[in-house]
Amino acid sequence: MSSWIEIKDNPRLKKIYETRLQILRLIREFFWSQNFVEAETPIALHLPGQEPYLNPMPVEFLDPRLESHKFFLRTSPEYALKKLLATGYEKVFEIGKCFRNEESFGGTHNPEFTMIEWYRAPGTYLDFMDDTEKLFKYVGEKLSIGILKYKENEIDLANTWQRITVKDLWKKYLNVNLDDYLEIEPMKKLVSGLGYQVSDSDEYEDLFYKIFLNKIETQLGQDVPTFVYDYPAQLCSLSKKCEDDARYAQRAELYIGGLELANGFGELVDARAQKDNLEKDKALRARLNRPIWSVDPDFIAALESGIKPAGGIALGVDRMVLLFTGALDINEVIFQSVKDQLN
Amino acid sequence: MASTSDVRKGVVIKHQNDLFVVVEFQHINPGKGAAFVRTRMKNLGNGKVIEITYKTSESVDIVSVMFQTMQYLYKSGDNYAFMDMKSYEQIEMDGDLVGDDGKYLKEGLDVIVGVYEDRPVSIQIPKKIQYTVVEAAPAVKGDSAAGNVTKEVKLDNGLYIQAPIFIKEGEEVLVNTETGEYSARA
Repeated sequence: MSSWIEIKDNPRLKKIYETRLQILRLIREFFWSQNFVEAETPIALHLPGQEPYLNPMPVEFLDPRLESHKFFLRTSPEYALKKLLATGYEKVFEIGKCFRNEESFGGTHNPEFTMIEWYRAPGTYLDFMDDTEKLFKYVGEKLSIGILKYKENEIDLANTWQRITVKDLWKKYLNVNLDDYLEIEPMKKLVSGLGYQVSDSDEYEDLFYKIFLNKIETQLGQDVPTFVYDYPAQLCSLSKKCEDDARYAQRAELYIGGLELANGFGELVDARAQKDNLEKDKALRARLNRPIWSVDPDFIAALESGIKPAGGIALGVDRMVLLFTGALDINEVIFQSVKDQLN
Repeated sequence: MASTSDVRKGVVIKHQNDLFVVVEFQHINPGKGAAFVRTRMKNLGNGKVIEITYKTSESVDIVSVMFQTMQYLYKSGDNYAFMDMKSYEQIEMDGDLVGDDGKYLKEGLDVIVGVYEDRPVSIQIPKKIQYTVVEAAPAVKGDSAAGNVTKEVKLDNGLYIQAPIFIKEGEEVLVNTETGEYSARA
């Protein structure tokens, strides 16, 4: 958001900050009106998530004897909210700060950011796609903002949102059947055939995203907000498999104007399958020479105790504010961003 | 070959046998899949801008560019003239490569120029630049009540910006060159 003195003397920046505060209030209002419970869970975790490509920030807790206990700032409240589902909550949300290391300071990232995450149990990933569209339309209506802006894209909020499977996207933009590229070897050939570098150390995800990021992502949601769903199962540790094709899993991402806003799952609630996936992720973290820690046994125990079929999604609030205000950069929507503090 | 961590604004990359200067880049960690660097690069041959995404594990063919502090002199047609204050050598740079930054240049301003094989290919200007306000209408009573909290002022290099109504002619102000907006009194 720049320095306080810039906000004080720049009406555009002041308006952005005021809109941010209103959006936070409206998000809460929306979920309360839908009978969701607002939760509060720890920001510092002893055993954070296993996402192979996320970098939780370490913090050190000292007990009275000055013994050190290693904690990490959460990258999302996912495990904690699912533990709450195990206590019997059916509709729960949390708005709070999350942290990710090795992110750029500015552009569309700040290492400290605000996330809204919500779950319905019982629920499906179709439910949260509906919720998200309704949330944006509610906020737009209350703020009298009908057009979302990101870079040169202007997106009319009134249109019905689009939903498209990953498989259909590959057909549309590359004219290939993704079914034929679900294994690493054919995917390697496809990637190098398109002129991108391939190395022996590339995992399937690296290869998938070389194509996705260059050929597909920037074109997503340019006219209308778009949910991309049903990803290859190997990219979805926390999702359950698609009912009609187990090679794909129930993961959905929201794109607006080429910007990724949200990521959600038809949640994997089978404790054993979840533990297997997380152990595989942990092994991949080790292969990638990243810090490792145990799979949180308390999370697996919560799943074992039984959670109803659930759908849940995490949405980046700073990016949402960026779209509603037409801000130029994430630093303009965050008061005292990391970049501003370092300047 | 270099690593993607060496990619920054102003470096020159050889990509599929053409030379490109990086005009914008962002290191992105999408959470799912390895981190990548998204770059916008301008072809030094034909001026076309392309967007390329590199995974951080990839190697990038960065060609050697000398970065030198130079002083801006004047605009000559579409080009901009700079002087190397060590050698007193004068160079001219294509207006196209200077791009939007050109409007912030003022005589005597120090900038960093990237030089590749004797050709200036990129320019980095300070994030905040100080200017003198040369024209500013006096604040009118009732302005704030009418909601007019800013007004247009002219700066000593000819640039017009919106500034708070209390800014007067002759004052020194700082302008944020990333947004083109008034930042603070200098």
